[in-house]
Amino acid sequence: PGTPRTPSIPSRSLPARQPANVLEEARTRLHVSSVPESLPCREQEFQDIYSFVESKIMDGTGGCMYVSGVPGTGKTATVHEVMRCLQQAADVDQIPSFSFVEINGMKMTDPHQAYVQILQELTGQKATADHAAALLEKRFSNPAPRKETTVLLVDELDLLWTRKQNVMYNLFDWPTRRHARLVVLTIANTMDLPERVMINRVASRLGLTRMSFQPYTFKQLQQIITSRLNKVKAFEEDALQLASRKVAALSGDARRCLDICRRATEICEHSAAGLVGMSHVMEALDEMFSSAYVAAIRSASLQEQLFLRAVIAEFRRLGLEEATFQQVLLQHQALCRVEGVQPVGVSEGLAVCQRLGACRLLLLESSRLGLLMRVRLNVSQDDVLYALKAD
Amino acid sequence: SNRVVMSKRKVKDVHLPVGECVPKLQEILRERICHQQLPVRPEGVEAQHKHLLELLRRTAVHGESNSVLIVGPRGAGKTMLLKCVLRDLLQDKEVQKNLLQVHLNGLLQTSDSVALKDITRQLQLENAVGDKVFGSFAENLAFLLEALKKGDRSRSRPVLFVLDEFDLFAHHKNQTLLYNLFDVSQSAQAPVAVVGLTCRLDVLELLEKRVKSRFSHRQIHLLNSPTFPQYLERVRTQLSLPDNFPDERFARDWNGSVESLCEDKLVQEVFQRHFNSSKDFRSLHLLLMFCLSRVSVSRATLRTSDLLEASRLCFTDAKANMLHGLSILELCLVIAMKHLNDVYEGEPFNLQMVHNEFKKFLQRRPNSVYNFETPVIMKAFEHLQQLELIRPVDGPTAKSQKEYQLMRLMLDHSQIMEALQKYPQCPTDVRQWAMSAFG
Repeated sequence: PGTPRTPSIPSRSLPARQPANVLEEARTRLHVSSVPESLPCREQEFQDIYSFVESKIMDGTGGCMYVSGVPGTGKTATVHEVMRCLQQAADVDQIPSFSFVEINGMKMTDPHQAYVQILQELTGQKATADHAAALLEKRFSNPAPRKETTVLLVDELDLLWTRKQNVMYNLFDWPTRRHARLVVLTIANTMDLPERVMINRVASRLGLTRMSFQPYTFKQLQQIITSRLNKVKAFEEDALQLASRKVAALSGDARRCLDICRRATEICEHSAAGLVGMSHVMEALDEMFSSAYVAAIRSASLQEQLFLRAVIAEFRRLGLEEATFQQVLLQHQALCRVEGVQPVGVSEGLAVCQRLGACRLLLLESSRLGLLMRVRLNVSQDDVLYALKAD
Repeated sequence: SNRVVMSKRKVKDVHLPVGECVPKLQEILRERICHQQLPVRPEGVEAQHKHLLELLRRTAVHGESNSVLIVGPRGAGKTMLLKCVLRDLLQDKEVQKNLLQVHLNGLLQTSDSVALKDITRQLQLENAVGDKVFGSFAENLAFLLEALKKGDRSRSRPVLFVLDEFDLFAHHKNQTLLYNLFDVSQSAQAPVAVVGLTCRLDVLELLEKRVKSRFSHRQIHLLNSPTFPQYLERVRTQLSLPDNFPDERFARDWNGSVESLCEDKLVQEVFQRHFNSSKDFRSLHLLLMFCLSRVSVSRATLRTSDLLEASRLCFTDAKANMLHGLSILELCLVIAMKHLNDVYEGEPFNLQMVHNEFKKFLQRRPNSVYNFETPVIMKAFEHLQQLELIRPVDGPTAKSQKEYQLMRLMLDHSQIMEALQKYPQCPTDVRQWAMSAFG
């Protein structure tokens, strides 16, 4: 091994092609990765986090903040934007300079790796988890001349949970030290995480500075897309509104909305229409939200369909939502005789049942149980009946 | 030039002995049926092919990150579709030079650490030397993420991640790998395309909320939905020999025999039965393979009887077949259990009850040859348990004494009756006992 190199993916031999038309341009802008300079509809949250961190940096004290919200509501992006603006302010000497460290619970294999990553980002040192914890402990408890504030962003906080909660405890305890000068911003999905999983001494150190990001409303989603497109005229107004209303009604996840719009531009490109219209968005929505079960049942073979009908018939007879394979098989054989097809044998019936189980139309026990295997439906009976009746 | 024409004609008229044609025929058809040879154009999935091809091309050419799931029942041609798309995609020189590929399978990469090692190896990152990857799991993850983070849309080579058996990756701890792959595909880092293949329709419900949010929700559905004429057409195309077969006359004869086979009413009925049972082409291929293995040098055509035999093989009942191999005593015990099941409506039984039932049968025939000792009966009972024709109610590790352990019969009445019909030299009184309603 020679000198360690910075890890990287090899570069292309030919540069990537630039977008050639309006739709491609729109698609590039609508990609989730192209985060805009300033996030629309999160001005208030931006302001709150900004003033919190700024005041801590100015005073040279430390503190914690807990940010929560469902996925895709702009939590991480807002915090990043705050840090970018603060960095700019520090560059022009409006505020004292600070260092910024970011860790993510999902990007670590073990909660204790948090110490390793923080230490590496702060000092470039490599150490084992225990050693790193000791070094950080020393760094944050002892006074040092010309110490600058450290802002630590902890994303996906719930993944740092351990049985003794010592990682969380340390993260929230360091800011309370007199010489630490540490600001910890934590992000997670659930609002009640501190009450639910943290023991008292951890929750109390986290404090009460909390903020929750609400799911986007349809107006906000619409505004987000419009600002991303930034005068590239690729969408009809109604089409945008449809996409944002649909997503707002389901989850309010901005990623979803952007993905739908991106898919709609692709569909539009196929149909050779100039602008993305309602029909394209409708098609994209159908593709992404429609359930595949009905189509799967319709394309199933005759015996598979009969088996599903037998399952429902047996459920009705028993008055339960569960039956053994043997019971269903009897119904199945009876149905075969009614329909005038050759009744299935046990092996064949089992194979049919297993196929339905593999694609999860049915929920099955282990196939070693054979005839005694219990069968349940994974779709509602109405869906099955609708799928079988419509043709 | 005249000579060239002459020689060409000579080649055309060449007539090989049957002994050479049949092995050649077997080779071609085996390659097609068993080795999943890719078709020139995928049939019936043109829209899906186009969608996937364009998606991957945008990743390769424009550096746009994407994620997509291909969902469909087993044997619907998911891998075939992906392979066809990759073959067509790599014909483009620009793509060929740039695209990096990583292939993972949920059955092989059973944990994230194994998967990470394989990714590092397949990408030939700096901490991989030959086939060995250095560093701990945590270091490998940090290394890979760092490498991907350093990249950008327009300069780094795009990476295609193919995750076969995608649903198994969702069972890894915390879904770390999926989160990170999807997160890269949704942020401004090295361009990646994540393609998952799975047969589970409810795969999205397996994903954690934050992982699901990062997935683009594109799903390409494949269905087994041929009509019966299409199904028969598939049989024809799978079995007929290509035009470039060395012996033209043999090929013509063979194709003629395939054609006449498909016209046969009896054969069509057999195919209809298979079609009713399952529409997927993989089970059809199995049937054709059974047929094909009956073709030999001495009989170089496909006949109706071959297909009937193959179909019989496919549909035989495994358990009923096993019953043919039992001794008379074991068969008697099975019949006794069947009667117990009839009388007590499927309640579990133990060896004592079965023995009693058997004794009742013996009492009516005082000088019967089946007067066995108890240990012999117990041995027969244990043998049935080993064959899993009966199954203990509370698992095999229960502590109760063997004679009193509660059991259930794993056979259906129809299987027992069918086996009795075909049992070699079944004694008449045993058969009558099985038929009689009350033991």
